[in-house]
Amino acid sequence: MSGLWLVARREIVTRGRTKGFVIGLVVSALLVGAFAFLPKVFDGPDSYTVGVVGSPAVQRELVEASAGSSRETKVTTRPFADEAAARKAVLDGDVDAAVVDEHRVLADGEVDRELGALLEGAHQTAQMQKQLTDARLDPATVARAIQVAPLEQVSVGADTRYAAARTGIATIVVIVLFFLIFQSAMFVAMGVVEEKGSRIVEILLTSIRPWQLLGGKVLGLGVLALVNLIVVMAVGLGTAAATGFTVDLPPGMTGIVLGTLFWFLLGYAFFSVLAAALSSLVSRQEEVSSVLTPLQMLIMVSYFAAFFTTMEPGTTLARVMSLIPPFSSMVMPVRTAGGEVPLWEIGLAAALMLAATAGMLAVGARIYERAVLRTGARVKLTEVVR
Amino acid sequence: MIEIDDLHKRYGDKTALTGVSFAVKPGEMFGFVGANGAGKTTTMRILMGVLSADSGQVRWNGAPLAFADRRRFGYMPEERGLYQKMKVAEQVEYFGRLNGLAPAAARQATADLLERLSLTERAGDEVGALSLGNQQRVQLAVALVHEPQALVLDEPFSGLDPIAVDALAEVLVERRRAGAPVLFSSHQLDLVERLCDAVGIISAGRMVASGTVAELRAKEGRGVLKVVVREAAPGWTAGLPGDLTTDGDEVRFTGVDGDGQEILRAATAAGRVEHFGWERPSLTEIFREAVA
Repeated sequence: MSGLWLVARREIVTRGRTKGFVIGLVVSALLVGAFAFLPKVFDGPDSYTVGVVGSPAVQRELVEASAGSSRETKVTTRPFADEAAARKAVLDGDVDAAVVDEHRVLADGEVDRELGALLEGAHQTAQMQKQLTDARLDPATVARAIQVAPLEQVSVGADTRYAAARTGIATIVVIVLFFLIFQSAMFVAMGVVEEKGSRIVEILLTSIRPWQLLGGKVLGLGVLALVNLIVVMAVGLGTAAATGFTVDLPPGMTGIVLGTLFWFLLGYAFFSVLAAALSSLVSRQEEVSSVLTPLQMLIMVSYFAAFFTTMEPGTTLARVMSLIPPFSSMVMPVRTAGGEVPLWEIGLAAALMLAATAGMLAVGARIYERAVLRTGARVKLTEVVR
Repeated sequence: MIEIDDLHKRYGDKTALTGVSFAVKPGEMFGFVGANGAGKTTTMRILMGVLSADSGQVRWNGAPLAFADRRRFGYMPEERGLYQKMKVAEQVEYFGRLNGLAPAAARQATADLLERLSLTERAGDEVGALSLGNQQRVQLAVALVHEPQALVLDEPFSGLDPIAVDALAEVLVERRRAGAPVLFSSHQLDLVERLCDAVGIISAGRMVASGTVAELRAKEGRGVLKVVVREAAPGWTAGLPGDLTTDGDEVRFTGVDGDGQEILRAATAAGRVEHFGWERPSLTEIFREAVA
């Protein structure tokens, strides 16, 4: 067993300090960070400054509404002495709009839609209150009467409140899973061929067993990929939290994170052992890409299926692909991130993928063991699987 | 003791080994010689378990050689293999750990070996940045780091400069002194002759000779008696034993039984004897004769 740990440790130490790994880590973290930040950019501003000229009622309503709101949008008011000063401030962009004499709004062009609604609401409330008070109703009663609880949203269909956020998260998940599984499988393949091609494997296998060498390699590179995945998730969620996006994050984020880790581990184990088995058939780095073609096809099909699922999560194709291993390792986490999935489907997909991974470990280790010492010409798969 | 017993190996319809047998005793340095493609590497790979024989057995101290025993062997394959991107000391230490050394012991053994092989200054360099000769030394360090109980080295001297050859020879002699059987193959027959207690000659997958150099001489190379007599009367050799070839005053007698004292007497009688001595066949000559 110690041989396996030593091999794993070597992989972590030597691969972890290569440029390839470090650049991959930084780039993926930056991409996910940017992705988490994007909604912020497209979402418009979350605070407004409104100039007020002789409009105490509107001003009061704006301040109250802003303070009492659970929404992120904040409105600050700024009094001006006269309309000319307010007009100048609007043109200079110092304020987003200015309310004059309780009945006009100055804006540079059109008033921002969200701000317009806020101002209109404040104006309505203020005017209603004024008119009711003018009709000699008790101001306190008026104030109580116009307090209206906002409409409660109840969806009788699917809960689509978080649809956009879920789709966004699912998209990030599919890209990250694809990138990490692909990169790690390539690392495993390159490592196997490096050892076989340089014949280090001959020395190694007089000291340790083939399963220790293969297992250590898969384990070590898996740890690196897991570190990469955790960093990426931390950056993504951290950015989302820092930019105030978290209020829109759907419930069950923990489940989505854990699910992604679970599916990643299965997908990684499956594809990396396949990569090791295939690459053990060749002795030169130049031959790696051709021998890995079937693996690349499998990963690409999984990726496209997963991407399709982010757009059409409810289709039969998405459901079927999310059950069949190894596609399920990328499609199912995307489905669960993108919407509700019946528990039995997740269970079935997990059971099938676990079985497929176990099978791949058995067959892959066998191929590797038989092929890795046969240097020279490419070994035919049929010669080693029997 | 390493015993190779009746190994047979075929690659497809090509026969690589036919009944190869020999033994390397504890504290014995065994030189394994043969032409290219004669079967040296195949034999050594089977010995180290990276290739399986069609039939035959490798034994260690009387029992079939097991994986656990082999871990305590030092092995240097024909095609050198090192992690090019790994640092020298890190790499030697790694192989020490894989062969069961504790971290501190591996570090210490690495430092000692690098010192002996004049690699201390390169300890922190990537192996790929070293010259081929230095990479060869690292390869050797990898084979030796765990103080192996036996050494199996395929062409360890190829590509080394004379100073590195001496350093390597010294390390091998030391392992032999510690009681380890040392088996190595080489084309540098003068080196084999100088270092080895025993020699095995393989040709076309068969062992054609094995034993101590003296035994091989006695068996394979017949002694040649060289006599140089100045101002000798022509025909002084008439009636003397053996076949002779004459080259001016130089006469070579082959196939002489006994110590040749009668030839010496005849020579002294014939003229001024400038040279009288046995020419020992070199290993090269024995080798040529054996594989012919």
